[in-house]
Amino acid sequence: MAYVAVKGGTIAIEESIKRLKYERLRKREILSVKEIEAGMRGLIDQVMSESSLYSEELAAISIKQGEGNPEESVFLLRAYRSTLPRKHYSRVVNSEDMIVERRISASFKDIPGGQTLGSSYDYTHRLIDFDLINEKIEDALEWLERFEMETDEKKDNVHGGKMPKVLDYLRSEGLVLDCRENNKEPKDVTKKSIEFPTERSERLQVLTRGQTGSVTTLGYAALRGYGALHPTVGELRIGNLPIYVDNPLNDSKDDEDSFYIGEIRVTEVETLIPIPIEKERGKTELEFEIGYGMCYGQNETKAIAMSILDYCLETGNPKYSTHDEEFVLLHIDSVEATGFISHLKLPHYVTFQSKLDSVRKTKKGE
Amino acid sequence: MKRRRRTEILVRGSIEVTRRLAQKIIDNYDVKVIEEPNNGLVMIKVRETAKKSLFYLGELFVTEAKVQIEGNLGIGIVRGNHEELAYYLAVIDAAYNGNLEETKSFTDILLQEEKNIDIQREKYQEKILKTRVSFETMDV
Repeated sequence: MAYVAVKGGTIAIEESIKRLKYERLRKREILSVKEIEAGMRGLIDQVMSESSLYSEELAAISIKQGEGNPEESVFLLRAYRSTLPRKHYSRVVNSEDMIVERRISASFKDIPGGQTLGSSYDYTHRLIDFDLINEKIEDALEWLERFEMETDEKKDNVHGGKMPKVLDYLRSEGLVLDCRENNKEPKDVTKKSIEFPTERSERLQVLTRGQTGSVTTLGYAALRGYGALHPTVGELRIGNLPIYVDNPLNDSKDDEDSFYIGEIRVTEVETLIPIPIEKERGKTELEFEIGYGMCYGQNETKAIAMSILDYCLETGNPKYSTHDEEFVLLHIDSVEATGFISHLKLPHYVTFQSKLDSVRKTKKGE
Repeated sequence: MKRRRRTEILVRGSIEVTRRLAQKIIDNYDVKVIEEPNNGLVMIKVRETAKKSLFYLGELFVTEAKVQIEGNLGIGIVRGNHEELAYYLAVIDAAYNGNLEETKSFTDILLQEEKNIDIQREKYQEKILKTRVSFETMDV
């Protein structure tokens, strides 16, 4: 059997692409990129996180082009990203520098700095608001003005928006083991494909850019029994992190000589996992291990699931697939997973014909 | 004023202030464009808190420009697609690198803008702090 070259699809493909545009426009309404950027914060955050490219504007354009389909939007952004030069690496970003907008702990009621709810769907009734059908811009602007004019009781904002880390408190109390800073240069999965066993930096990078649904699903599976851990959220924080770049004209890497280039909004999670440790004379004591998650935007479920999977992959329990780095890391990437599934739509005429021939021969032989 | 603090004010503050300062330099000097404002990426390196190791969180879309004034190179880098701002930042950076006379008058303007930024931030933070929980333990 030889390969058979076929042609004849050009006009059909052109018409198919035209039809795709028709589907986007057929209701005779156009979504502006600004409207998407303003009103689809959740989708923008998800798309930026999965494409590993922080730009609300680019995410909004790709969402418009992909008609709100995250996998298409992520593909577009990843493709565009590959055309851009990487000009710099940031200075090391520390989450203690975050200007916090939301920060909660499920482990401790009285955390230093207090619990700040910020904005979250968690406290809503999840009832559809049908008033949104006829929402008017004048009413929205009036609401905004009222909200901004509300006089506030002065609260002590001693940290200028920064808040102490719950983990630092636990470490200072001796409840969680402290460790030294590890300054080993991270590996970059966008430069070199991962090989197993992976390094921690590779695992975290793959997890943070993983498809939201996949990361959540595997984290959920690990909790339900296809994993070995029982975590509690030690701290979940959302806020803005300042990004600095070293002066490329000065090798001194002086902090004061760096360029401030702007802020990014992220979600960071540390989960605490109690582990029984065998001590002398058969005694067991509980100690806490930590799972870590961070991703672009307000993306709480993903960040929590990432922290669960981080711990699973650190321990690598062979009994569970959620602890198997090859299983987790090779299947959670949006472009890889959707790309491989989608390739099944590509013509497999030759391979399928050969299978058909085999079936026919078998049937004849019966 | 050192670059870190200066760029924090110029990027966070009003573009009007940045434009005004840059214009003073553009009016008085020959600004040679070395690199037109163009887009690129900055890879973000984060220290995670569980093991305190480093990893790459992802890339940030930026605009960067380079100019030269009297032989001094200036760089402007800013998050997002902001060609005008990147150019102004590069002009002001070159002016500081060349220690141009005009920069002496910039300090007061920058300090005033820093105050404005702080006031805005404080107002914003006060609103956020309204969502802080005041726990009360209930008698059961």
